[in-house]
Amino acid sequence: MSKETARALVVGGGVAGMQAALDIANQGFKVYLVERSPSIGGRMAMLDKTFPTLDCSACILTPKLSEIARHPNIRLMTCAEVGSVTGSAGNFRVKLRRKARFVRENLCSGCGACSAECPVEVANEFDQGLGFRKAIYTPFPQATPNVYTVDKENCIDCSRCVKVCERNAIDLEMKDSFVNLDVGTIIIATGFELFDVSRYPRLGYGQYPNVIHAMEFERLINAAGPTHGHLIRLSDGKKPKSIGFIQCVGARDVQKGVPYCSRVCCMYSIKNAVMALEHNPEAEVWVYYADIRAFGKGFEEFYEMAKSRFGVRFVRGRVAEVMEGKSSHDLVVKVEDTATSKLRLIEHDLVVISPGVIPSSGMDTMAKKIGIDQTNDGYIEISHTFFGPTITKIPGVFVCGCADGPKDIPDSVSAGSAAAMKATIILSSGGT
Amino acid sequence: MSGTEDEPRIGVFVCHCGHNIAGTVDVEAVAHMASNLPGVAFAADEMFMCSDAGQTLIKEKIKEHNLNRVVVASCSPRMHEPTFRRVVEEAGLNRYLFDQVNLREHVSWCHMREPELATEKAIDLVRMSVARASKLQNLPIKKVNVLPTTLVVGGGIAGLRASLDIADRGFDVLLVEKTPKLGGNVAKWTHLFPSDETGADIIKPLIRDVKKNKRIKILTESKVSEFDGYIGNFGVTVKNLKTEKEERYEVGAVIVTTGFEPFKPVGYYSYGESPDILTLAELQELPRSEQLLKISNGKPVKKVVFIGCVGSRQPGVKGHEHCSRHCCSATAKAAADLRDRVDEVLVLYQDIRTYGKGHEEFHRMARQKHVIYSKFPQNEYPDVIVKKSKITIKWRDVLADEDLEFEPDMVVLASAMIPPEDVEETSHLFSLTRSGDGFFNPEHIKLAPLTTHTAGVMIAGAAQAAKNASESVIDASGAAAKAVGLMAQGEVEIESTVSHVIPELCSSCHTCLTACAYNAISMDETKDPPIAVVTEAKCHGCGTCAAACPSSAIVMYHSTDDQILTMVEAFLCPSPSIQGGG
Amino acid sequence: MTSTSLSTTETVDSQGEWEPKIMAFCCNWCSYAGADLAGTSRIQYPTNARILRVNCTGRISPEFILAALNMGADGVLVSGCHPGDCHYTSGNLKARARWALMETAIEQAGVDPRRVRLQWASASEAQVFADGVRTLTEQVRKLGPIRREWV
Ligand SMILES: Cc1cc2nc3c(=O)[nH]c(=O)nc-3n(C[C@H](O)[C@H](O)[C@H](O)COP(=O)(O)OP(=O)(O)OC[C@H]3O[C@@H](n4cnc5c(N)ncnc54)[C@H](O)[C@@H]3O)c2cc1C
Ligand SMILES: Cc1cc2nc3c(=O)[nH]c(=O)nc-3n(C[C@H](O)[C@H](O)[C@H](O)COP(=O)(O)OP(=O)(O)OC[C@H]3O[C@@H](n4cnc5c(N)ncnc54)[C@H](O)[C@@H]3O)c2cc1C
Ligand code: SF4
Ligand code: SF4
Ligand code: SF4
Ligand code: FES
Repeated sequence: MSKETARALVVGGGVAGMQAALDIANQGFKVYLVERSPSIGGRMAMLDKTFPTLDCSACILTPKLSEIARHPNIRLMTCAEVGSVTGSAGNFRVKLRRKARFVRENLCSGCGACSAECPVEVANEFDQGLGFRKAIYTPFPQATPNVYTVDKENCIDCSRCVKVCERNAIDLEMKDSFVNLDVGTIIIATGFELFDVSRYPRLGYGQYPNVIHAMEFERLINAAGPTHGHLIRLSDGKKPKSIGFIQCVGARDVQKGVPYCSRVCCMYSIKNAVMALEHNPEAEVWVYYADIRAFGKGFEEFYEMAKSRFGVRFVRGRVAEVMEGKSSHDLVVKVEDTATSKLRLIEHDLVVISPGVIPSSGMDTMAKKIGIDQTNDGYIEISHTFFGPTITKIPGVFVCGCADGPKDIPDSVSAGSAAAMKATIILSSGGT
Repeated sequence: MSGTEDEPRIGVFVCHCGHNIAGTVDVEAVAHMASNLPGVAFAADEMFMCSDAGQTLIKEKIKEHNLNRVVVASCSPRMHEPTFRRVVEEAGLNRYLFDQVNLREHVSWCHMREPELATEKAIDLVRMSVARASKLQNLPIKKVNVLPTTLVVGGGIAGLRASLDIADRGFDVLLVEKTPKLGGNVAKWTHLFPSDETGADIIKPLIRDVKKNKRIKILTESKVSEFDGYIGNFGVTVKNLKTEKEERYEVGAVIVTTGFEPFKPVGYYSYGESPDILTLAELQELPRSEQLLKISNGKPVKKVVFIGCVGSRQPGVKGHEHCSRHCCSATAKAAADLRDRVDEVLVLYQDIRTYGKGHEEFHRMARQKHVIYSKFPQNEYPDVIVKKSKITIKWRDVLADEDLEFEPDMVVLASAMIPPEDVEETSHLFSLTRSGDGFFNPEHIKLAPLTTHTAGVMIAGAAQAAKNASESVIDASGAAAKAVGLMAQGEVEIESTVSHVIPELCSSCHTCLTACAYNAISMDETKDPPIAVVTEAKCHGCGTCAAACPSSAIVMYHSTDDQILTMVEAFLCPSPSIQGGG
Repeated sequence: MTSTSLSTTETVDSQGEWEPKIMAFCCNWCSYAGADLAGTSRIQYPTNARILRVNCTGRISPEFILAALNMGADGVLVSGCHPGDCHYTSGNLKARARWALMETAIEQAGVDPRRVRLQWASASEAQVFADGVRTLTEQVRKLGPIRREWV
């Protein structure tokens, strides 16, 4: 492989994929970073604060986003997905489908004039459907690239945006296109999805307005979120005074096909419990759990702080049911407190369910296209826990972050760097 | 150093950071006050200064108002100073003409209930920074070459992995291990989760590959005794512990993989009072035999109790507050394995943290094999009583709500991972700080887990925090990528914040020579009287010499007396015209 | 009590109470980081201190401390790495060596040495840092505004 063709492809622009791309690019190799949504950043971009030190997610993520955007060795391709892969280590040919974003990236300056003009409002998926966005939009203020996208499904083709755009960047006729990339190595960093918690009807999600899930909570307390950071109940806009967090929903449950632990729910719930108290120090905050898995650096200490300094109350027990009051939309949590073996009914005015983590959608198709194996749980199979924790069955194809199993941010970042290391060994040696 | 003599035209940018700052500090008032300060040509507040929009704003305003200094009042400079330095540089300013005020970590987040006083503090801090900014000077941007060798300290699984990756990528490695053997702790484990191999099975091929590789120079029974230099060009003295012989090497980067030690839990659960009470590490180091035998009398063991979290998760006990991460899974694996050989296995725990891939599965398998799990209450530890070679254990089972008693033949304590006994030494050698768990601090706990605050020195594996072998391997490859990143570039920028002696003022007293810990100052004997000179490449920029010099002959660039005193003055006695809107 | 010409308008809070002014010098590597951690951990402490970041406590010349007292500080805090933990090996030891002399100097000048505080707080000791600020602030509050006849 000549230095010219020594290029890498990273699929998925979450924190793991971004780190992998940077560590390859910093060695002087060219990298294509392919992301299917309109912006890189992945799940981390949606988070409010981050455990275990409570710094805000946007604040620490933004520099990485701009580092990617301006890196001379990184070619960022958003709204793009892998179509097919042929060849072998050192000489892969990847066909990419670039979905039409209806806005020309080279012309759009991200001014937002179009969005102001657009008459269509739809639920904003970035805010977990809690807020609204226009049919022409960017997912979040720091979106990278800072380019608008038309959501064609909801667009009514009124062309108002086209007229108002001073730079003529909008093309509502744009078609999907295909590009062929020749790369020496591929890193899969496609992350995760959340378990659909409405599959536990007894917990009331989807039926009661004041039962929400953790990602919704993250958006609710975020200053750039739908309520501008005001923690309120969705039923009546009141400040919740008593909040219950329910753990292990869609995790460690053999019957629901998710036997494994999601690794992050304990910690993100402790974080959100602390944040709830920070928003309203008078509130009562309870966490219902099976085991508190605070295993990472600084995690146990954080858990201890939540208990002793913030006064979060932890109750060990599986929640049997969440019930709603007749008129008030207040909730009652029925839980067997295993510490006392008593069935308890505890009232809350907001319940936050902690969904487990599952493989990202489209994982099966992608794995097939590339020819890599998946575990029973649907994640990408690694070759060996100790010899190749970022290596897949196909030489030259690597994996990092949540694509091979749930991970927190530090572990995802570390894995991103590790996959980059393996990839550059291939790039520098010519594919063997 | 070229002065920046032109009149200061300072731009001040105050960040809301969403609600993080603006929720407590009146950022508009701060920006308004700043706009009235002397030298300030532009001041504004903005939602997120670090976002693309914020960065573009800075660049635009530099052009528009011909700004020659920039102050950003936002979060800790420890996070974003590099970001903003780059921004001003992209707009054509020298990076040292930037100053950052910390309104978030040092104001809004720690004074959340006192918005007025917090705003007052923010105003003072911005005023101080503006005063400093007007005294900032251009400094040259310096690059140095990076030597194409990496020093790896510690030959456990992490050190082996890092060495191999770097060598496979085409760079040289100096691997230093203090014991006679490579392999570290993993080599000892007979019950290795989550696989059916032993630790030795895993370690052997790695050692073989490392020994075969021509790019890796292995020094066992050796320790680094001296370390100096700077990123790209470190000098290392390695001492052979047996021969006491020392040898000098030069390397461009360092990866510290010194791992951990299993805690010897003296004072816990009667450890030491009976040979049949041992740690999980000690259990795995027992000579292999068909049957598990009692250490006290060689009779077969029928009943075993494991106790979790020994010396871990103890709030308020220094160095023992952390979770040791590996023990729940290691216990589950050992318990499941042993259950095939003994009649009863009991595990006493507080929480079961089998979080990793496959861990939950063998935890379940242990239970299927009838390993009994019993949860004891936090801070109500089981009692282990040794009487005439009989061990009795009493505890409270939380789930059954009962007091229980058991007479095991053997008690296995899953003890904490703690740093190796010589960790202090390593920490001083490489100027690493340690966190509450005793392990080394990364540069950033989330986004930079493998680099440290000593540029060019990386950490990986259990040296960074308690973790299992698979996680250590991932770290190791990741840290290797960082080292290779430096070496592949071949050169790296270094800080220009060094000290400088003004020859005319030097009184030849030699005070600075003894002040400097890096021997960066020497006397130029060709002068009469001899005067002090700083070797910039050796200077780390601490400024100790500048503070020590009785003749005020030493300037510490970017931290001059003038720059410091002007801030003190701006805080305490700003002229009435510049008190601002506070 | 006379106030000197040099000193500024004294800070008063909204209730018109006197608020001590504390000048704090922190080294970048331990104490500044510790103060950052106090922030991220949301540890609340008095607002009186203004932190000036220097690379190392070794950089802090007694002149700075005297200047601060002279210009109207009611207290001065110097916070660095624990002995042995200095990022530059031993800057803090040099700072400690100078400290005794400096204390004598200010005492001779008629300033109560309880107004100055040298403390060690590592990057992980957020609480230690915050407590240090609190202790000094309360101490100085008890001592009252500084008498500056000596200047
Ligand atoms: C509610 C919640 C709170 C959390 N809080 C914290 C916290 O406080 N601290 C912490 O350390 N961790 C936290 N986490 C975990 C954290 O979100 C993950 O560690 C991190 O996002 C993983 O990064 P990743 O890059 O592997 O995956 P992701 O962030 O999921 O990114 C994957 C990216 O790949 C893209 N993608 C997916 N499929 C394809 C495809 N086929 N082609 C192209 N692109 C594709 C996706 O669009 C996405 O951008 C939290 C998780 C949740 C659910
Ligand atoms: C009882 C027990 C059971 C475990 N079981 C498992 C398991 O089943 N599966 C699993 O994945 N993990 C397990 N672990 C965790 C695993 O042992 C660690 O994750 C792993 O050893 C970390 O590797 P490392 O290379 O970072 O450190 P180490 O293995 O500690 O290696 C560090 C090396 O550095 C050397 N060194 C230290 N200081 C210096 C110095 N100053 N100069 C030179 N050399 C130095 C040491 O001699 C050693 O060789 C277990 C841990 C324990 C305590
Ligand atoms: S054309 Fe579509 S995107 Fe543009 S303004 Fe109309 S509805 Fe919105
Ligand atoms: S301390 Fe100052 S005066 Fe003394 S030798 Fe050094 S530079 Fe010269
Ligand atoms: S600043 Fe002075 S004392 Fe510090 S390293 Fe440089 S020359 Fe030595
Ligand atoms: S760096 Fe903290 S005291 Fe020297």
